[in-house]
Amino acid sequence: MAGSVIAELEGLGSLGRELSRRARKNGLTLIWRAQVREVRRVLVRDGRPEDTSHTSSSGHAVHVFTDEGRTALASRDDFAPEAAIDLLRGAASAARRSAALGSRSSALPQLVPVVESAIPASAPAFDGLDLSLLIRRLAELEREVAGEVAGVSLRVSFLADLDGWRIQRSDGTDVTFVMPRCVLRLGATSAGRDGTHGVGAALGAPDPGLPWNDAEIAVFLRRAIRAARLARDLPDAPDHPAGSFPLVIDYALAKGLAHEAFGHAAEADGFRSSILAADGRFRAGERVGPSHVSIVDEPVAGDHAWQPFSANGIRRDRSVVVDHGRLRDGLSDPWSAGEGGVRLTGSARAGSFHAPPLPRMSNIRIEVDAPLPAPGSFEDYGPDEVRDLLVSAGILNRHPRVVFLSGYSGGQVNTATGDFVFNCKAIYQLSGDGVRLHKPAIFSGSMFGALGSIREAFGPLVLDALGTCGKWGQSVPSSGGSHYFLFLEPDPKVRIGGKS
Amino acid sequence: MGIDLERWLEALGSGRPGGIGVEAWSVYAVERRRLSIGTRDGATGNAHTPLKISETLGARFLAVWEDGKISRGSLERRQIADDPLSALERARGSAYADPDAARVSGPAEFPDVELHDDRVVGLIDGELDLVGHRLARVRETLAANDFGTWSGAIAVAESRSRLVTSIGLDVEDRGTSAGWHVSFDGEWGDGFSARSLDDEPAFELRLSRLAETVRHLGRPRPPMKPGVHPVILHPHVVETLFLGTLLQNLEGSNVAHGEGFFKLDEFGSDRPALRDDLSLTLDPTKPLKSGSYRFTVEGVPAVRCELVSNGCLRTPILDLKYANRLGLDPTPAPYGMDALDLGATESVSERDAYALADGGALILSVLGVHTLDSASGDFSLAAPQALILGADGPNGRIRTTISGNVFAVLRDEALRPVRFENEPTPGLLFPCHLDPT
Repeated sequence: MAGSVIAELEGLGSLGRELSRRARKNGLTLIWRAQVREVRRVLVRDGRPEDTSHTSSSGHAVHVFTDEGRTALASRDDFAPEAAIDLLRGAASAARRSAALGSRSSALPQLVPVVESAIPASAPAFDGLDLSLLIRRLAELEREVAGEVAGVSLRVSFLADLDGWRIQRSDGTDVTFVMPRCVLRLGATSAGRDGTHGVGAALGAPDPGLPWNDAEIAVFLRRAIRAARLARDLPDAPDHPAGSFPLVIDYALAKGLAHEAFGHAAEADGFRSSILAADGRFRAGERVGPSHVSIVDEPVAGDHAWQPFSANGIRRDRSVVVDHGRLRDGLSDPWSAGEGGVRLTGSARAGSFHAPPLPRMSNIRIEVDAPLPAPGSFEDYGPDEVRDLLVSAGILNRHPRVVFLSGYSGGQVNTATGDFVFNCKAIYQLSGDGVRLHKPAIFSGSMFGALGSIREAFGPLVLDALGTCGKWGQSVPSSGGSHYFLFLEPDPKVRIGGKS
Repeated sequence: MGIDLERWLEALGSGRPGGIGVEAWSVYAVERRRLSIGTRDGATGNAHTPLKISETLGARFLAVWEDGKISRGSLERRQIADDPLSALERARGSAYADPDAARVSGPAEFPDVELHDDRVVGLIDGELDLVGHRLARVRETLAANDFGTWSGAIAVAESRSRLVTSIGLDVEDRGTSAGWHVSFDGEWGDGFSARSLDDEPAFELRLSRLAETVRHLGRPRPPMKPGVHPVILHPHVVETLFLGTLLQNLEGSNVAHGEGFFKLDEFGSDRPALRDDLSLTLDPTKPLKSGSYRFTVEGVPAVRCELVSNGCLRTPILDLKYANRLGLDPTPAPYGMDALDLGATESVSERDAYALADGGALILSVLGVHTLDSASGDFSLAAPQALILGADGPNGRIRTTISGNVFAVLRDEALRPVRFENEPTPGLLFPCHLDPT
């Protein structure tokens, strides 16, 4: 069947409309969210499958608001009509009871109804993915990497995730969107005299034909082979000393900086405690970084974190969080925009139909005015080539030693204090004497210190750094990037961990 | 009445997608009702933190086909009840050869473990007075301490589970879960989770200690110089950093594939891998703990299991597949940190530990544990919530990074477990490199 997820979403319209009708009749405002998701996974190790699965998860939630603004959310993992009506009844009762718990009034502001759908062309192809062919293909890719890098334990996996939503509101909104996400990953582990280290590489695409796409696979193999070599070399690499240093970070780490340090603090549901807000309102217009640096969040077509509508049925807008050094937009939803003093950007996303949507990022990037050239593709740049870029820009004249943080391994932030942390896959010390590999260590500090220290950028924007955001226990795909590389002047508030 | 799996079991018995039948199978189903309410920056039960009720039914299965291939996966409610043949066809479509995984459990003796509390069921059914009382106590604590805001959540659930296999195992269970978490001023939080809510004295003690700790965090102090200092890791940090790293490296798949810190030949050896008085025991039979159960999803009975004793590795954590692959017995699985006991011959009280760590720091939380490479054991973490220690206890806030290696710490003669009141996991006192900011 072509597009089974799409067909199922299309068939659910009457259920949503009946729930809306009943909600209106009972004086309730309703947001109804239905999700149909199919996930296929294959993991290959040593040429054989270690895990293969094809699972689906589907269901719906009724998010109701009484005329006093009390709210409740009830969810169930099927679409049975009678159970759905019970769900609506239960949610209405729960919303009214919540007043006794001291709940805050939370009425849905007046919104413009939207009737639209967004279904990328690659979505129907997910039904045709043959897992036995996929197993063979992953084994071929594993062999290819193993042929280049010996002595490393490898695993290759593929995820094909088709995530479809239909959202209706009792004001007549009816939005359908399907998010196709595929990720090809390699994990490489190696043991040496001084411990064991693992390094990963990944490539995302919206098309399940990714493992057979020659151009994409060429990029994946370059990343994978580099990761395997790094895994091989890291166990014997020394630790890097702790402290503040002149830094180069790649676009994946820049995405981590934008996401962890600024993106979360710009989410309007957290303005009561965010360092980017005062008295619950965004500090729009305040200078937080140099005038050549901006931070932008928006859904990008074909991207891993693309979501064209919010989980409340509102078209998602571009948000310029930092516009040439000054705060401009928050990431907001109908309940947080007015109170937080920011425009409505339709940024709410939900981890599943069970969860209440929260304002959060999609694809976030750091843009720097007038970047310096870096010819070729990002994969052309190893530490030696990065060192050459610094030489040509005169940076090694300013700083005889520069620390290059390569690859992103996740991060975390405290939005109340502005403390952020993220980890890299490797550290290289670049100097006039050459390049020296060190074990990874955290990059942490104050978000203002980090943004303020960005000076040069090299190369065009690359926005495909994949991740998963776990805000409030809800996982959603995230992504982003920056120019190939950013150079950061040393700042005492931005430090690398490590050992003395 | 048990979970109705009849249509799915019938499909397993008679379905032949592509002409291939199922030779052996195992199905683990869970039906759950859950209620929760959150608070974000003082706003309880708003659009972002609504009173939430959910109903779910799902199952995990293993099918061993007549051609020796296997399928593993999950089923959703409607597949179990309405569309089992399509689900079986889909399972066949993802079949693959994995002889080690082609094994199901037979009947066994399962221990009686206390997992259910009727009071939790009352909460799910709408008797919310206790929830209202606790929310009120948190708000009173906020006001009494002049904190600016708070966030948190309370969640309760009831579940039924059923495990059926093709070789005669059919066992059911019923359990509850309950938990809460509160943080003040976005700084630091604490909470409790188990199969029953904590009693009022324990709740009040934890809340008052949380408030006291956040008050300490409101008093910045000049940091010590970078270098090696005595450090006490709070039990929460021990769970995420130390127990988390140990469990990752004891995981059977990581041991079997050589992707963990521990090598296969270290298990069962008399050569200590950790300090020779350290032990780590998994006991899923403790009453009303989050990590307690009667049987695993594969039908392995809950039993006390020594993972490390006298510093020696006793067994990896093995599911049926990796037990088969390594020729060892399967073990219970760790489903919650409160089922783990990390111990040493000598431990010290929290008060005594403060005296031993005079001039050092109490690390309350760390950022970035999930970014670490657990196979190396190396850690390099930001600890923006840390308290400088005097002989009498915490003496104001510092921000620092901490670095070292989990396994080196667990071999260090200076390491001391620290008993914290009301906490199942000990804190750890050891010399650690600090880099205050």
